[in-house]
Amino acid sequence: MALYSPGRRRAIILLAVTSVLLLTLDLRGNRLFDAVRSAAGAVADPFQTAADVVTSPISRAVRSYRDYDSLLAEVTDLRSQVEAQRAAEIAAQNAIIENQDLLALEGLESVASYDSVTARLVGQSPTNFDQQVEIDRGSVHGIRVGMAATGTGVGLVGKVTRVSPQSSVIMLVTDPSYAVPVKIIAGIDEVGGSTIDTDTSVPEVIRETGVLRGRGDDRLPRVSFVAGSAGFGRISAGDTVFTAGGSTSLAPPNIPVGTVANVITRPGTAGQEVEVELVSDLERLQFVRIILYQPPTELAE
Amino acid sequence: MINALRHGWLPRVVLLGFVLVAVQTTLAADMRPFGVSVQVVLAFASAAGAASDADRGAAAGFVVGLLYDLVIGTPIGATALTMAVAGHVAGLGRRFRVEPVWWILAVFTAVGALVGEGLVPVVRLFIGEADPVGWRIAAVLPTVTVAAAMLSPVMVPAARWALSVRESELKVPGDA
Repeated sequence: MALYSPGRRRAIILLAVTSVLLLTLDLRGNRLFDAVRSAAGAVADPFQTAADVVTSPISRAVRSYRDYDSLLAEVTDLRSQVEAQRAAEIAAQNAIIENQDLLALEGLESVASYDSVTARLVGQSPTNFDQQVEIDRGSVHGIRVGMAATGTGVGLVGKVTRVSPQSSVIMLVTDPSYAVPVKIIAGIDEVGGSTIDTDTSVPEVIRETGVLRGRGDDRLPRVSFVAGSAGFGRISAGDTVFTAGGSTSLAPPNIPVGTVANVITRPGTAGQEVEVELVSDLERLQFVRIILYQPPTELAE
Repeated sequence: MINALRHGWLPRVVLLGFVLVAVQTTLAADMRPFGVSVQVVLAFASAAGAASDADRGAAAGFVVGLLYDLVIGTPIGATALTMAVAGHVAGLGRRFRVEPVWWILAVFTAVGALVGEGLVPVVRLFIGEADPVGWRIAAVLPTVTVAAAMLSPVMVPAARWALSVRESELKVPGDA
């Protein structure tokens, strides 16, 4: 008998065609599929709870053994960092209050003006190609699909992609499907350590907007620009990146995303690309803050 | 499919699928050797092919892949396709007239898992993800492959039970 005759291919071809058909229907958006997905999720819930109960002691034991030394070193390192940050924090708090007062006077919104929900990470992505995490807060806590997530600091972490009553899934900034409008502010002098810059001269500030896209957890996210834009050739490493906001952006404006790590100039009219070093350490996320913000276009629907 | 329902393998594969997806989202997602999530469901899909044949492997892979898509939230059909191919490829090994001892089945399972996991970025490209994978694939593929081989002594008997593979099917054709 032939190892691979046409007859033997029939089943796999049929299944492949069915898969492609299902994919096409799902990607176009299908309410029936959403309902089936919800039902499957409900059926899988008891299995997952049982598996969690059985496997969590094993996971914890392995993690404790594996991470003990690095955690000890990290605690020592963090203690020294906390000491160093105290002085800067006092100055920063003062600056935040002043900033909020000014924004309130001008009738502008800041990230601090939105309500938020703090959630704990309870799961990682089970696949090797999606950058997602699961949190223990869901729709009963006011979380909706599309809301932006930050770390316990202020750095952007991702967005909510799936919500159930008691839990949600967050797509991280590094996921290849993630995209968010950002602005790069060039010309701000970096403030290092705990020293406070007393120079009152106003630097020239260049604002450039683009779309930040994730590229997997082993590569830095990138922002693309077109040649001839105002900031072309003037953006450099160390410039700061914030969310741009806007009526259609799911993230509110002015969430710090990171700093420019590399500027890549592409040939011809392809323009520039910049790689962004994220503010948040996605490897060590334990808690996230979901900003309960929905853009005006979403609220209108 | 109706035949499968009548003969009873589909409910067993679905039941086992839910258990494996639960293990995938808990233990396998937490314990990441070399930062890679071991693909337990994919190992089962491959083992199903190695334990039976290409057609049944593909069908079992399709079913557990579909469950994976539904529960985990990946695009419906994406994992079903990769796992069906994994089961099919692992099942092709049974065409060679060799005694299916445990280590040969482990090799077939590993090859199926390698092809299945390697197909994931291809499917992601097909559905419009730009550049879905970097150099990390160099760690992902070997880890998933070796893990599938290591899991095969558990997965192959589980697949035989789920697919009702008869004792006579385990022997080389023509053996006494």
